[in-house]
Amino acid sequence: MERGSPFETGTSSEGELLVSFKAPITFENAAEIWEGANNLIAQNSNGSFVLDLSRVTRMDSAGVAFLRLFQRLCRRRGVRFRIQSAPPSIERFLDFFERDEPAQGPPSPPKGSPVARLGAFLVGRAAELQEFADFCRSFFSVAARALRRPGRFRWRESLYYLQLAGADAMTILFLITLLLGVVMAFQAAIQLKQFGANIFVADLVSLALARELAPVFTAMLLAGRSSSFFAAEIGSMKVGEELDALAVMGFNLTEFITLPKVLALMIVAPLLTMWANFAGIIGAIGVCGVSLDITPYAFLHEVFTAVTFGDIAGGLLKAEVFATLIALVGCFRGFQTTMGADSVGRQTTAAVVSGLFLIIFSDAILTVLFYLLGW
Amino acid sequence: MTTPTAPEDRYALCVQNVSLGYGEKMILENINFCVEHRQIVTVLGGSGCGKTTLMKGLVGLLEPAKGRFEVYGKDISALGQGGSFDWVRKRTGVLFQSGALIGSLTLAENVALPIREFSNVPGDMVEEIVGLKLAMVRLGGYGGYYPAELSGGMKKRAGLARALALDPNILFCDEPTGGLDPIIAAQIDNLLLELNHLLAITMVVITHDLPTIMAISDRSIMLDADARGIIASGAPQQMENSSDPRVYDFFHRQAPRARL
Ligand SMILES: Nc1ncnc2c1ncn2[C@@H]1O[C@H](COP(=O)(O)OP(=O)(O)O)[C@@H](O)[C@H]1O
Ligand SMILES: [Mg+2]
Repeated sequence: MERGSPFETGTSSEGELLVSFKAPITFENAAEIWEGANNLIAQNSNGSFVLDLSRVTRMDSAGVAFLRLFQRLCRRRGVRFRIQSAPPSIERFLDFFERDEPAQGPPSPPKGSPVARLGAFLVGRAAELQEFADFCRSFFSVAARALRRPGRFRWRESLYYLQLAGADAMTILFLITLLLGVVMAFQAAIQLKQFGANIFVADLVSLALARELAPVFTAMLLAGRSSSFFAAEIGSMKVGEELDALAVMGFNLTEFITLPKVLALMIVAPLLTMWANFAGIIGAIGVCGVSLDITPYAFLHEVFTAVTFGDIAGGLLKAEVFATLIALVGCFRGFQTTMGADSVGRQTTAAVVSGLFLIIFSDAILTVLFYLLGW
Repeated sequence: MTTPTAPEDRYALCVQNVSLGYGEKMILENINFCVEHRQIVTVLGGSGCGKTTLMKGLVGLLEPAKGRFEVYGKDISALGQGGSFDWVRKRTGVLFQSGALIGSLTLAENVALPIREFSNVPGDMVEEIVGLKLAMVRLGGYGGYYPAELSGGMKKRAGLARALALDPNILFCDEPTGGLDPIIAAQIDNLLLELNHLLAITMVVITHDLPTIMAISDRSIMLDADARGIIASGAPQQMENSSDPRVYDFFHRQAPRARL
């Protein structure tokens, strides 16, 4: 036997292979013992074993697990196996576990084939779209009802979200759209310089911002910051059974939870869009002043002749539509949270992804619509 | 460095002059008690008296504002991360009030977590041990379930299985029978007693379940919110007849009589 082995082998009076343990069988040495025992069985695959436990003073769960695994392995290999002279304390310990022979619990839920899962996925997405449409419809009917009773509306709640989605987002939005203005002015300048049409940089940047980029970037920021916030907040409430509690107290969840959030985003979106317009123009003015020799006065003069009220209003209308969709989808995803483990995280991600998709999707529709209407 | 008369020879756990609280707000002040090896000590008291707070201190989650917690003679707040910290961690099992199972793991994975982390037993043995532990709390066959798919009582039992995963020397339980039906509760009581006898596990059990208190306590400690400390300690059979109305009312399940 090699040195330090946890057991000794010999031959019993009946000619069986006698394995006597020298020390406690515990978590500390169970791995080593199990390995040694595997080797023993491999070497004596048609003998029979006697495990002598007389010197085992202590045993923990790992020891019990070892004996069970050993027994099972012997049975599988057709090797006979028995335990002898276990001290009474060990005997009692083994009995304790014997009594609790694992009951047959219910089987784990089935997983299904890949094709079935793909099918279920597609059906699930379609159903989700339908659900979202229903969610929006019920929101608007509740909102219409609530507008007739403004006294009941939870204004304080909305103020909180105004601060969160609006005021708190101003710095980062300013930075983003300032840099956006800088980048656009540079790109435009490179092209327009060739034609000596430097001043049209102002037209291009301001129109693009007002009609398209300011609302889209604002909406994207709202999707990333606020839609995810709503989804996570509602999701945690769902997991904590807070939503159930509100429901049984008779609150309308749409009115209580969704309305203040959607309203807050609808209020902040146009304001933030104007803020984004402002920041983008500042960035562009900076670039034009430095590299194109256009004075701020000349730039602004050009902006005010190029950009009409309709351009600004169209952008604000877009922002309004985006914000409504983002807020709704954030809340919708929050309500979709299940009790499952990673559900809040999943729904938060889904809120942002759905939000971004809805922004681009509705932007495409609105742009075509504005074109057809000649705005 | 330990002398034969050092308290750690007799006590598994000592709370010395501890004040505990959240920020400035003290919940418990100047607490002293020790738990002998192999003893089951129950911590009693009404809701909000600081039982969970005390347990957070005992397991090292909450730093005492004053005093020290000693486990096997080691000051747990001075342990830091690493060697001795792991030494104590491996020997301590904790059952939290809500079960505190990791939601993204199945029951079996939850129970296997400390085994894989703190021991080197091979995979099939881990599974075997997990099976034993789940069967012990009558959850055999539920290994593949996620915590979200279980009832509150089942989660608590699974939490107990996880706390017992490494055969700890000391087990802390926060309301192990709270929210369980009387039959399962009695089974848990018996399980704790058997573990105490067979594996010599020292236990600190927080509970306000009278049958549990009577069934398992070697000694009880009663906390009180207003006193911010221990108002009684001893065998529950004696505390039952206490002359202190706060203790008497607790044991006889009656509302305090209006004082004239
Ligand atoms: N994280 C915390 N921050 C501040 N106060 C807390 C916190 N947790 C509990 N408390 C306060 O500590 C007191 C005791 O709480 P706890 O220990 O949970 O009581 P219980 O005996 O019911 O387990 C309560 O008054 C509670 O308000
Ligand atoms: Mg508590």
